[in-house]
Amino acid sequence: MRYLFIFCCSFFLSLSAVADYQLTPKKIAENTWLVEGSTDNFSLHNGGNIVNAAFIVTDHGVVVVDTGPSFAYGKVLRAAIASVTDKPVIQVLLTHHHPDHVLGNQAFDDVPIAALAGTKKLLQEQGNYMAENMYRVVGDAMRGTEVLLPTQLVEEGLMEIGGHPLRLLSLTGHTGADLAILDERTGVLFAGDLVFYQRALATPNTPGLAAWLADIDTLEKLPWKLIVPGHGPLATDHQPFVQMRDYLNWLDSALREAAQAGQDMNQVLRMPIPERFAGVSLTRYELIRTVSHLYPRYEQQQWQRLDQ
Amino acid sequence: MKQRMVCALVLSLVSCWANAVEGDPQPSVMWEYFHERLLNNAEFVFDEKVQVSVPPFAEDARQVPVEVDARALTGRVEKIMLWAELNPIPQVLNVYPSAELEKFLAVRIRVEQATPIRAAFLMDDGIWHVGSARIEAAGGGCTAPSVVRAQEGWEDHLGEILGARFNTGDNSRLRLSVSHPMDNGLVDSIPEFYLDQAELRDLSGAVLARLEIFSAISENPTITLGIKGQPETQLWLRDNNGNEFTAHIP
Ligand SMILES: [Zn+2]
Repeated sequence: MRYLFIFCCSFFLSLSAVADYQLTPKKIAENTWLVEGSTDNFSLHNGGNIVNAAFIVTDHGVVVVDTGPSFAYGKVLRAAIASVTDKPVIQVLLTHHHPDHVLGNQAFDDVPIAALAGTKKLLQEQGNYMAENMYRVVGDAMRGTEVLLPTQLVEEGLMEIGGHPLRLLSLTGHTGADLAILDERTGVLFAGDLVFYQRALATPNTPGLAAWLADIDTLEKLPWKLIVPGHGPLATDHQPFVQMRDYLNWLDSALREAAQAGQDMNQVLRMPIPERFAGVSLTRYELIRTVSHLYPRYEQQQWQRLDQ
Repeated sequence: MKQRMVCALVLSLVSCWANAVEGDPQPSVMWEYFHERLLNNAEFVFDEKVQVSVPPFAEDARQVPVEVDARALTGRVEKIMLWAELNPIPQVLNVYPSAELEKFLAVRIRVEQATPIRAAFLMDDGIWHVGSARIEAAGGGCTAPSVVRAQEGWEDHLGEILGARFNTGDNSRLRLSVSHPMDNGLVDSIPEFYLDQAELRDLSGAVLARLEIFSAISENPTITLGIKGQPETQLWLRDNNGNEFTAHIP
């Protein structure tokens, strides 16, 4: 029965990839709209829509923050934008190079797509591999999707668009090149994947948890009123930062203690996850990935040169 | 290397009419083949006392951690064999342990696709005690380009050994990592170049364990061995080009 269900799902998915995304923009602040994804993992059923995309309708036109996981998503996102404003899209800002945030770029190939230089470099190096991975996991919803590199580079500083002063921050904690955007007019902070909320953080490109913790401090000090995490629900309080800091610190000390005790990876990825993170989705899954990404560094800190 | 590839191809054809053996916790059409080829058709039992642990999926198919814990087995171990059934290079490690070794080891391996992983302990009763696990993998771990070779000056670090001994109650865990590309001959026409032998010795030179190493083991091999007591030991390694490396583990 279960297999029949899965079969039917994949059958309907294959009918039309474009029709599968139900993107409903939600107004979250003046001129500002959120298109919220689920906090699940990538799957055939969600077409990779696990990510928060957003847009700002400025006086000059629409600024889009992240383009989603596929060409089809990008097209539906663009249609969803057109359903709430007649203004044209004039600018895309990419928070970082991960596939769920940039593979909708093709739907915006007529406007400048801006990112940090490091993001462009990472997408150049890893984009095709990541896209292949998405095809494997997400399947047909990826049809026609190709990597489209950023066409404009931005740096830390102020970007003024149509009455919205956007403060751009160049940070590193999640991927080595992470753009956070504070709209100084509305106080909306687009944190990208520097902030995961109620969803376990992913570490494949992090330069290290200490760098990430430092970025959390930087972001928290900004004069924000509303936080848009890369994954997870909106917040108007400090809770996303509190949770990120708590989780990063736990992860860091748990990995260090495991390495100090001489544990090998399998033992580490079985370790208990504190009860207080029970409301955070995918903790075990991301812990297993994190052990693969980061544990070798923690091991090396406990080892000495032994060769003679 | 080509021979092994052909071999793997023939194997997958053979598997079309082979059947999984009854009682196998990881039913696999390849079991009979490896039972014959590696265990010489000797008597065996699938034994839950041989716990093989792998992650539920391979985040990095080039570095898949495998843990074998058979401390629940009683008796003396003659030989341990570890293999990944559906790998182009299935064999991972053979260990000939002395009584000083604990029945525990961990190692990181490359996997090319989802595969059963087997650890077989030949005990002094003459029976192979077999533990199993299955790793899910999108693949490509055996044919992915070397990370080591991509680093400039990697040759200067060849044979560097990092590690430590950790006390685990009355016993110890030796954790060691050796800088070596472990080329398996499947990537970019780079010929096989891998560590193939190792011995763990006490300070007088007596062998505590002899290891036969295969190129299914990840580059910069990381290995963990359990050892009784808290002795100082030495590690000797050799690769197939005749380079020898030694380490002192305090
Ligand atoms: Zn990300």
